Amino acid sequence: MKRIFHKLFFSCQKVTELIEKKKCFKLSLSENVRLAIHKMACSACSKFEKQSLFIEECIINSCKKSDPETDIEELKRRIIIQIDDNNKK
Amino acid sequence: MQNETIESLVSQHTEELYKRAYYKTSSINVAEDLVQETFLAAVEKKLTFKGESSPKTWLFSILNNKIIDFYRKKSKQHVKLEGDLLSNFFDETGTWKNEKRPKDWYEDEEHLLDNSDFLQTLKNCMSKLPEKWNSCINLKFLSEKKSKEICQEIGISPTNFWQILHRAKLKLRECIENNWINN
Repeated sequence: MKRIFHKLFFSCQKVTELIEKKKCFKLSLSENVRLAIHKMACSACSKFEKQSLFIEECIINSCKKSDPETDIEELKRRIIIQIDDNNKK
Repeated sequence: MQNETIESLVSQHTEELYKRAYYKTSSINVAEDLVQETFLAAVEKKLTFKGESSPKTWLFSILNNKIIDFYRKKSKQHVKLEGDLLSNFFDETGTWKNEKRPKDWYEDEEHLLDNSDFLQTLKNCMSKLPEKWNSCINLKFLSEKKSKEICQEIGISPTNFWQILHRAKLKLRECIENNWINN
């Protein structure tokens, strides 16, 4: 029964691949339909997708929020010193 | 541009360049290096700057190329995987192994987005991934560029690109679940 389901609507492994592939490249209509049906029947894959999307949101969010702590004035000084050193060579 | 000294450009634009570099690489050290390299390149190229764009735009385009080069080098990294990663997660029929099936994350997702402990867990889990995979994640989710363009810039095939993202997501999701949900 599982084999038939996998043949028609992909294995879980294939589904997780397509979930990621879909973010980069267009899937065919057939792939999209089979993907949707698999997810309806498989709570594990449906959770995987939800959590995968959530992780992406967190990555984007944490980057926007993170304070890129660095001493900018110190960085500027170092850059000027390096440029001066290079000029002297 | 001829009227502006390099010192003046450093003074005016370092901060913006740094913020951009940090956003794109998530690393303080890398961002600082890239900004420094940008200005050094600007000094060399100063004579060829034709003034068709503003100095700021010009500096940013040098920085963007430096960032692409950075990721291109990372993409050449050969990632040695212990065994077949996918067979850790899926059995021979391609079904989730019982102990690897995603569990419910009952936490209210809105709260988790702002939860600094959770974000630290995410950061820790990301640091455990091969650098090449982290690069692909950064490029994909922190970039306005389309995947095709990213692949061309860093010299990875599209198939390889999403395969890396697939493996990275599997490991990342599992790591987060083990460290956050199970604690």
